Amino acid sequence: MRTRVVLALFALALAAAGCESSTPPTPVTVAPVEAWPAGAEQVTAAPVMGNPECDREASLRPGPLPSPGAMPPGSTMAAIAERGRLIVGVDQNTYLFGFRNPSSGQLEGFDIDIAREIARRIFGDPDRIQLRVVDASQRESALQSGLVDMVVRTYSITCARKQKVDFSTVYYYANQRILSVKDSGIDSAAALSGKRVCAVTGTTSLSTLFALNPRPTLFGVSTWTDCLLLLQQGQVDAISTDDAVLAGLAAQDPNLEVVGPSIGIEPYGVGVKKENSDLVRFVNGVLERMRDDGTWVRLYEARLRSLGPSPGPPTARYQD
Amino acid sequence: MGSPPTLDKRDSVAWVRRLTRTTPGVVGIIAIVVAACCVLAGLVCGGQLDRRIAEHNAVLDRSEPLAYSAQKLYAALSAADAAAAAAFLSGGIETEPMRARYKQALAEAASALTEVTAGTTDAEARATVADMSAKLATYTGLVESARANNRQGFPIGSAYLREASSLMQSALLPGAEKIYSGDLAALNGDQRAVGSVPTVSLVLLGLVLTAIVVGSVILVGRTNRQFNVGLIAAAVAVLVVIGWIVLATRLAVSNIEDSQTEGTAKFEHLATASILAQQARTDETLELIARGDITAREKSFAGHMDEVAALLSMGPQAAADAVTKWTTSHRKQVEAYQGGDYPAAVAQAIGPDPGASAAQFTAVESSLRNEIEKTRDTLRDRVATAGKRLAWSPTGTLVLMMVAAVAAVVGLWPRLKEFL
Repeated sequence: MRTRVVLALFALALAAAGCESSTPPTPVTVAPVEAWPAGAEQVTAAPVMGNPECDREASLRPGPLPSPGAMPPGSTMAAIAERGRLIVGVDQNTYLFGFRNPSSGQLEGFDIDIAREIARRIFGDPDRIQLRVVDASQRESALQSGLVDMVVRTYSITCARKQKVDFSTVYYYANQRILSVKDSGIDSAAALSGKRVCAVTGTTSLSTLFALNPRPTLFGVSTWTDCLLLLQQGQVDAISTDDAVLAGLAAQDPNLEVVGPSIGIEPYGVGVKKENSDLVRFVNGVLERMRDDGTWVRLYEARLRSLGPSPGPPTARYQD
Repeated sequence: MGSPPTLDKRDSVAWVRRLTRTTPGVVGIIAIVVAACCVLAGLVCGGQLDRRIAEHNAVLDRSEPLAYSAQKLYAALSAADAAAAAAFLSGGIETEPMRARYKQALAEAASALTEVTAGTTDAEARATVADMSAKLATYTGLVESARANNRQGFPIGSAYLREASSLMQSALLPGAEKIYSGDLAALNGDQRAVGSVPTVSLVLLGLVLTAIVVGSVILVGRTNRQFNVGLIAAAVAVLVVIGWIVLATRLAVSNIEDSQTEGTAKFEHLATASILAQQARTDETLELIARGDITAREKSFAGHMDEVAALLSMGPQAAADAVTKWTTSHRKQVEAYQGGDYPAAVAQAIGPDPGASAAQFTAVESSLRNEIEKTRDTLRDRVATAGKRLAWSPTGTLVLMMVAAVAAVVGLWPRLKEFL
């Protein structure tokens, strides 16, 4: 009896010793690093836009343009002249339209040239201007809070936006198209089905993409260069927005091309606070002068040559 | 197996019982018990004190250098981020000193990361360190992509830089902070261990003393003689050991307390101030790069600077002065920015003017760096002194307890001899 117990214990001890095998210590493992720009997120809910009907391109008719330095007393322009500089909300990440020239550190582009022309008409000096960078989603709030006098920032005129802010006449027509890697097979809105597509949060482009059927997987970011970054990092397959913006992105990467027919037409206007109708009329006056005296074409040639020959300035339409 | 061992056991128990009835038996037992207790206590106390010294070595050789490296890693990463942003702000081709600053910060981060990696033993911290290694490689890749695009005049450069900075702020710096606070807690723990009272040793020595007293009393009862000189000598030796241990530990404790107040706590203060200063610098630069509404960044900058100023209220004065001048310079930058003079704001932030932010920030940084090195020396010095207090205590304890054992045996031998 006792011998058996001892034997059993012995066997147990042997088994226990056998269990103590040499399992290696858990090795340290690291997941591959996937960097994303701050604020990037997948878009699953419809962008809040609303789509009321209106004649979006019609703006206020300009009166006679006052000469620089002699703004009518009591007007918004006079207040700006009093301050000594025009504060304009612009972009610094959209090549060709509003971007920071890395070699000079200055903001440049077609939008910024337009803003400088307006400053020239108020002060007689295009440099009496303060450029404030506003994100696409902040454009209305920046105007309403008075942070900026006007927004010149690839600003598509829409009826929904017109309920919050006022727009000048159209100074540029853009077409929403697609930017993708050459020979990727993505060449139309239909080909976007099942693909990952990037657009800036709060833009009309994102709303248009969201309305596509079938809807592609959408990613919203804060600037267009972030979209290009995602495309270069292989995190999205395509970018879709106005051809003007896309051309600026394509110019930064020779592997990409702008493809497909227009998904939608986007008229760009200068955004102004709703109460300042005198400023809207003034800006329309400046734009009219630019169309007539060839300034518009000159600026197009200087900035947007790479988009093709000048189509000529858009015709203004007035509501009254 | 079976009955024989039981028989032996019964025999020996009977034998001991017989022995305790005779006086020479009792004397012999007292001699053996006291001597054995002394030797045993000597070994245990010596061992415990030896461990105390080993813990002090651990502070000097492992936990303090590790906490220092972790702090360096945290500071170097913040510095790299601030330097990359400043270089970007300076326009297309950054100046040689700006590039050098970034490279220096990166080299410091890499060396600190190596030291932290080598010193980290627990699995979770190792995973954090490995993750940081991978992310640091990604970070530098993004910064270089930003440069390459910048040199071609492409605005996507700024997107790469923003992504790099976001990776730094959201992953690398929190990782470094986690490692740093863990290592600092470990350092504090090790410091406390050096200075704690060796309770087991003292209890054991008390028991030995009791054994000697009880033995003496029994002996006096049995032999009708005065107290045994040998046992008294043994008792004195034990008392000396107790006194030594209490005194040495008390002195070490006070050194350790100094090392914590003048060392670790101050070190932590200064390191935090240095990191906050780097973050304020990053705020200051990024708000110019973002070029938009600066309210949020300004709030963050002011918060960081207030904390720095509060931490520096106890010195060093040079850093506190530079912080004041830096704040003044920053106000000029904000005025220029709000007034629409962007180039002036940039010049105020990163220009070479000795009164401008860049120079003041450098002054804050170098002053804090010097003070951190000084504090580190103080910390190590105090811990080393605490170690010196304990240095001879294991050997001394062991020798004195051996002496006590020998004294007990030698003292009791004549009593035993009378019966032989």
